[in-house]
Amino acid sequence: MTAGTASRGVRGERRAEMLTGYALVAIPLLLYATLFFGAMLYAAYISLWRWGLRGPRNFLGFGNYEDILSDPIFWKAVTNTIYYVAIWVPLTMALGLFLAVIVNQKLRGQTFFRAAFYFPTLASSAAITVVWLFLLQPDGLFNGIRGAIGLNPVFEALGFPPNHNWLGSSRTAMNSIIILNAWTTSGTVMLFYLTFLQTIGKEVYEAAAIDGAGAWQTFRRITFPLLRPAHFFVGTLLLIGGLKLFDQAIIAGGRGGEPNNSLTTIVLFIYRAAITDNEFGFAAAVGLVLFVLIFTLTLIQRRLFGQEPSW
Amino acid sequence: MTGAAAPPPPAAPVVPAAPTPPRPAAQGDVAIAGDRGRTIRRAIAYVLLVSYALLMLVPFAWQVITSFKTDRDALRLTVIPDPFTLQGWEKGFLTLDPSIPQLFFNSVIVAAGVTISNLVLASMAGYAFARLRFPGREILFLAILGTLMIPDQLRFVPVYLIERQLGLITREPQNYLGVVLVLAIEAQQLFLMRQYFLSIPRDLEEAAKIDGAGFFTTFLRVMLPLAGPALAAVSILAFQGAWNGFFWPLLILQDQGHWTLPLGLFQFTQEFLSFWPALMSVTIAAILPILVIYLFFQRYFVASVAASGVKG
Repeated sequence: MTAGTASRGVRGERRAEMLTGYALVAIPLLLYATLFFGAMLYAAYISLWRWGLRGPRNFLGFGNYEDILSDPIFWKAVTNTIYYVAIWVPLTMALGLFLAVIVNQKLRGQTFFRAAFYFPTLASSAAITVVWLFLLQPDGLFNGIRGAIGLNPVFEALGFPPNHNWLGSSRTAMNSIIILNAWTTSGTVMLFYLTFLQTIGKEVYEAAAIDGAGAWQTFRRITFPLLRPAHFFVGTLLLIGGLKLFDQAIIAGGRGGEPNNSLTTIVLFIYRAAITDNEFGFAAAVGLVLFVLIFTLTLIQRRLFGQEPSW
Repeated sequence: MTGAAAPPPPAAPVVPAAPTPPRPAAQGDVAIAGDRGRTIRRAIAYVLLVSYALLMLVPFAWQVITSFKTDRDALRLTVIPDPFTLQGWEKGFLTLDPSIPQLFFNSVIVAAGVTISNLVLASMAGYAFARLRFPGREILFLAILGTLMIPDQLRFVPVYLIERQLGLITREPQNYLGVVLVLAIEAQQLFLMRQYFLSIPRDLEEAAKIDGAGFFTTFLRVMLPLAGPALAAVSILAFQGAWNGFFWPLLILQDQGHWTLPLGLFQFTQEFLSFWPALMSVTIAAILPILVIYLFFQRYFVASVAASGVKG
């Protein structure tokens, strides 16, 4: 074999490697190019138009964006979403942390408890929301149990009659969704906190024990501050997830976010603008506003927790 | 997608810890006081854990009980159905339109389509990004990574319009394809495969190369058979996501004959909220398959928590 054929062989092989490489990534790239990047540009473009499936299309410039700002239902959706996030995120973090700290003690049946707490995470949002609707309806299990254990006077003092319709009253609908999602997500948050808890060395606790610190003291002065990265991580994750609230809202409140738009979230607002009202350009504009919001938060999260997922 | 596909967390493998035996007690007076404190703390911990576990499980138990009740009995707070009846299930299987078997069938089609396409595309592209050298590889990979930042809620308006132009938003069977196409290759599955291929030693490929195998043959015959655990994780993640998915089916599936279980549940709750036993039977049909998969493949689910983030 001469040097010439050998180098041609190597070049041929490089070529084959390159072609195989492109062939293997071709379909995914095509899909990403159209359904992500192309879609984004398409959204940006039609957000400048009155754009429906039917009816005339005319160029509006930034008209859609101006309409967003003057739409009272949009502001209602923003307020609802922010309210949801402001309560749900800390509540879920507190629950998850609480469970993690307890489960992290070396207890018997740990595997069972973990599985039980993780259980609601398995079910689809639709199934679990329907179960929730059933539990919280006027004749449901929740009202029944609070009556049976004599809590009705307490609830009555707070202004809730014995047959209060939790998801049907604009005063309690969003709070019911908050509790539902805190309940289903707390198991996942627990698992996150557990992984961080297990990185805290035993020596720290032993030192605290020698100093005579009690359980609460140890938690407040040592565990909680040491979990700082976990708080940031879980917090941003939940924040971004919470801004996208949709499934539970539309299943419990229908397309109208009933009662009285109390379950209309930003995403439900976008969905309704496009599918119900045929205002695709306007819907795309709202979507971009939401994207800028989420993108900023994601960047902050990436900045705080490293660039690339690696697992 | 369950409403909140969050970006993936850092690399912390979540492995269920085996219960460890209690540590031997320390010596001295302090230790005795500490032991009593620990016993009390343990008792409190157990009470809290058991109550929270009940809180987690009671709604599901109630759902199963209710499915065997009559519509009227469903509103009574009795634990034992009186009379015990299969009416709810009968209604779910026969009267509801679409019926449970039809919804189940649709869910299987969508979930199987998404799973298979993710397996094929993620393993091929994952291998290419891990092993093959071609110009633009890094930048393309970063671009795909970037798609994790684009929420479905932003792209759904244009994707809906694109799929309409492709003729996928229709009452014909290609409607299923519309859902599969959106979820056909999820970035997190591609990463999972790439990372796994990166962890396989190069020696085996070198051996195949010396035997004269081409790159694709090496992938198919040498690398793919070694990637079993990663393929299993991708299957489970993709299947669970597609099975439970609500957003895209709601948007894309036009004909009620195509509805998946979550979508059917949504439509039923808008219409007949008084048929609780029948509705509960549909929720059980929606949850049961994932539960069975969970029982058999628990470790992959736990890993998936680290990989896929939080549901909302």
